[in-house]
Amino acid sequence: MGLRLKEFLAGCRDEAPLQLGVIPFGMLYGIGAVAAGMPVWLAQLTSMVVFAGAAQLVIVQMLAAAAGALPIGLTAALLNLRHLLYSASVAEHVRHLPRRWRVLLAYLLTDEAYAVAILRYTRPAGEAGNGVAGNEPQGAGPDLRHWYFLGCGLTLWGCWQLSTALGIAFGARIPPEWDIDFAVPLTFIALLTLLVKERAGQAAALVAALAVLALAALPFRLGLVLAIVLGLLAGAAVARESGK
Amino acid sequence: MSVSTLVLLLGAVGVLTFLFRYTMIGLVAGRTLPRWVHALCRHIAPASFAALAASELFIHGGEVVFALAAPKPWAALVAALVAWRTGNVLATIAVGMAALYLLKALL
Repeated sequence: MGLRLKEFLAGCRDEAPLQLGVIPFGMLYGIGAVAAGMPVWLAQLTSMVVFAGAAQLVIVQMLAAAAGALPIGLTAALLNLRHLLYSASVAEHVRHLPRRWRVLLAYLLTDEAYAVAILRYTRPAGEAGNGVAGNEPQGAGPDLRHWYFLGCGLTLWGCWQLSTALGIAFGARIPPEWDIDFAVPLTFIALLTLLVKERAGQAAALVAALAVLALAALPFRLGLVLAIVLGLLAGAAVARESGK
Repeated sequence: MSVSTLVLLLGAVGVLTFLFRYTMIGLVAGRTLPRWVHALCRHIAPASFAALAASELFIHGGEVVFALAAPKPWAALVAALVAWRTGNVLATIAVGMAALYLLKALL
């Protein structure tokens, strides 16, 4: 087996278990997009163009709540700002690659692909996979770890497109009185309890939730954007207080 | 929102998202992010999810509504307890939906 293919397949294999969590999200997005009145072609195209699970769910929920285009765009952009951190984190590892590789890997840089690929970069090049399967003699070969990154990214991409399509197909058949779109806020609640383990995060969540209610009267759901910004500031302030 | 506005909006979000992902890899090579960007980015997800959940549960037509007979906030509370005890996203969704159907039948 070629070394490139070996790295690529190792990336696919290590990314696979995460798809158990990704596929329900993609289906939920597809179902929600149809329920919010998005045309089917646009719902699928969004999964290709935006390719960011949390932001897509947020867009769908805000569309369903008749929010304006500007608040939706601002909220989604704010939420995706974290990718800047991933970009900074992988930059040193991919800087030597040709531009077409960097563009492709940047496009595939999502939460789940980053989480797996960055672990590969903590291990030396020329030792494919998670270090368990490699039974061939390993020399100091060329750095082919970007093929591993590509395997992670494409596995996730494929699952995301497929689960979106499944959600769209299902969503069109589910009667509205089933309230299936209620699963979206439930997802946010579940993720929230997983994310908020320390006081700064709790402060950010609490201030954002209270602020969104206080600012409910603002038009086009602009209160949502402001509430998130206030939550960020509260989180940063508490983090500074506690010296972290 | 018209379909053409929606296409523009989603296109803009897509371009911005790609730029966030590409900036440090391709545009400003060799630079590091200031500390305050890290500090703010860490809290984006909890702040967004909390604001969205609160807005979905308690805001209807631009007004804050706390109705004791509304099933969704109670179902969300049950789901939050499951999320807190199990840390399992799928279990949270399943129990939350089941609670919603049960409450809708009862209330």
